[in-house]
Amino acid sequence: MELQFKSELTISESGFLFDHSTGLTYTLNSTGQFIFRKIQDKQNAMHILNFVMQEFDVSEETAHKDLDDFVRQLKEFDLVSR
Amino acid sequence: MNLNIAITGLHATDNPAPGIGVIRCLLHDENWNGKIIGLGYDVYDTGIYDKGLLDHTYLIPYPNQGVDQLLERIQYIHHHIPIDVIIPTLDSELAIFQRIKQNLKDMGISMFIPSKEIVNKRSKQNLVSFCEEAKISTPKTVVIHEQGQFQKAIDEIGFPLFVKGVFYDAYKCKNISDTSHYFDEFRKKWGFPVLLQKPVNGKEYNVCCVGGVDGELLGSVSIRKVGLTDKGKAWSAITIRNEKLTEFSKKILKKLKWNGPCELEIMVEERTGELFLLEINPRFPAWIYLCTGADQNLPKLVVDLALGKKVSALPPAKSGITFVRHATDMVCPLDYIENLTIKGELHY
Repeated sequence: MELQFKSELTISESGFLFDHSTGLTYTLNSTGQFIFRKIQDKQNAMHILNFVMQEFDVSEETAHKDLDDFVRQLKEFDLVSR
Repeated sequence: MNLNIAITGLHATDNPAPGIGVIRCLLHDENWNGKIIGLGYDVYDTGIYDKGLLDHTYLIPYPNQGVDQLLERIQYIHHHIPIDVIIPTLDSELAIFQRIKQNLKDMGISMFIPSKEIVNKRSKQNLVSFCEEAKISTPKTVVIHEQGQFQKAIDEIGFPLFVKGVFYDAYKCKNISDTSHYFDEFRKKWGFPVLLQKPVNGKEYNVCCVGGVDGELLGSVSIRKVGLTDKGKAWSAITIRNEKLTEFSKKILKKLKWNGPCELEIMVEERTGELFLLEINPRFPAWIYLCTGADQNLPKLVVDLALGKKVSALPPAKSGITFVRHATDMVCPLDYIENLTIKGELHY
């Protein structure tokens, strides 16, 4: 399943995220930044899950939870569609 | 080209007029070569003391003093400092400048403002019928012309609702008691009509536009206000790039054949994403200086249009540019006040 951002978003090195269509800004922690960039690279959810497990050396359960939490927040802010 | 440009609306307090922002835009242009003439209404209009921005200041009569007084004063100024272009920046003076447009033209002074008929179409009491005709969404609104229509209007809109004065201000009311209070306040202040409007749940955006001779959109900067004063005025904002807002603005200007600057207030409904036109302010907004950061010098564009130059539509504005307004104090000698009080003019 591929995640897609609804509008043009840019992220800085520090994790400061800007939505060009609404002017809203967000700050992302390192896990959020990592997942965000994988979504930008058009990786599907399964691949992102594996990347998170490898990058942060966490179990599938933890990675799943982190990914679900992040995607839920992206949806809450109306930034992503599936 | 050496130009003398006169600008009104220089009183910049916590509800700033746009004139100072317009001047800063003109001075921002790397090819600027001219003089700025500030036209103030009162000795204590704040902006007229800014010698860093102005070359000359003249006091002019308030619009309610009539056409002849204003024309006479402009003739006097023009005799001393020949004016090429006037940019009026206040809602309240637009009608009188429309009336003297031809006289000014005969004197060699240009303006680029829409006609009275076009401006009237977007007035608060006419906006609903314009939007219906042009198939542009606007919040459900009832225009009340007499006391007897009050209750029926409330029944039609329901709570919550906004009570809006015909010129300025709007208050959100959740019950009959608050609605009656603000309705009476507006009625006493400005008379009828008073408007009741259904709120749209969503985010508000503002777009500063310049329409060309036939209402074609030549430039626009869209913003989301980030910080507001207690009067709801922008104290900080950020530019955005939103194709839906631009297309909506293009449609509005084209339908109105709007030739000149304006500010559109637009709500994007949260549930549906639908765009609703709230208001059209017939002038530059006070935050206009932000447009220079977004690479769209809209006041310069208006000067070029006033001079009859051929202009092309500007490239899209840059997004992510922010402004933060801060108050400052200007210190000036007594003779500034003396000159303005005694002679009604000041030359830096």
